[in-house]
Amino acid sequence: MPKRPPITNRVRELREQHGQISQQALGDAVGVTRQTIIAIEQGRYSPSLETSFRIARQFGVGVEDVFGWEGE
Amino acid sequence: MSFREKSAWTMAAVMLVAGVFYAWLVSHGPGAPVIGPLVPYVMLVIILSVAVQIVLAVTSPKEAQAAADERERLILWRAGQLSGIVLAVGLVASGAVYVMLPSGNMLFHHVLGALIVAQIAEYLLQVYFFRRGH
Repeated sequence: MPKRPPITNRVRELREQHGQISQQALGDAVGVTRQTIIAIEQGRYSPSLETSFRIARQFGVGVEDVFGWEGE
Repeated sequence: MSFREKSAWTMAAVMLVAGVFYAWLVSHGPGAPVIGPLVPYVMLVIILSVAVQIVLAVTSPKEAQAAADERERLILWRAGQLSGIVLAVGLVASGAVYVMLPSGNMLFHHVLGALIVAQIAEYLLQVYFFRRGH
């Protein structure tokens, strides 16, 4: 089983806060597939810095409001 | 299931079927000129690949047109890198067999077999990484 990246995120929570934007719509907006958004939400994939900024800008917040570092 | 995962599954199946067909042809004439089994094998791979890609494109036209995103590119690259190791092992094994049983025809078949196995490994690794993350 691949080791999970130590990065947490609030993508699902922010989607729900922003009018239930769908995974497909968010993926289209930031230039990735729905499967990649699912992988990010499940913590199976850490997006690139560019995609992280695109996601944060989509919600009108900073990158650190979306992504966090787990543990120490 | 994503378009690329479906594509990887179907291409793995195509390579497996075509590989078994090639092995069957070779087993019926191991000393025959290599062009004998090679031509029908290549034809089968082309026909099956085109057919399954057409079916996938018709059933998912939007996804078929889209370029791979950053995660998919990473998965394709990593699967290709690991399948290169499978190919290298297969080629070394083919060389070792040739040292013990020097037959140019069999060396060709073993090298092609290594290519087929490496290709199947690449598609299955893609499926694994698409499903389990990486």
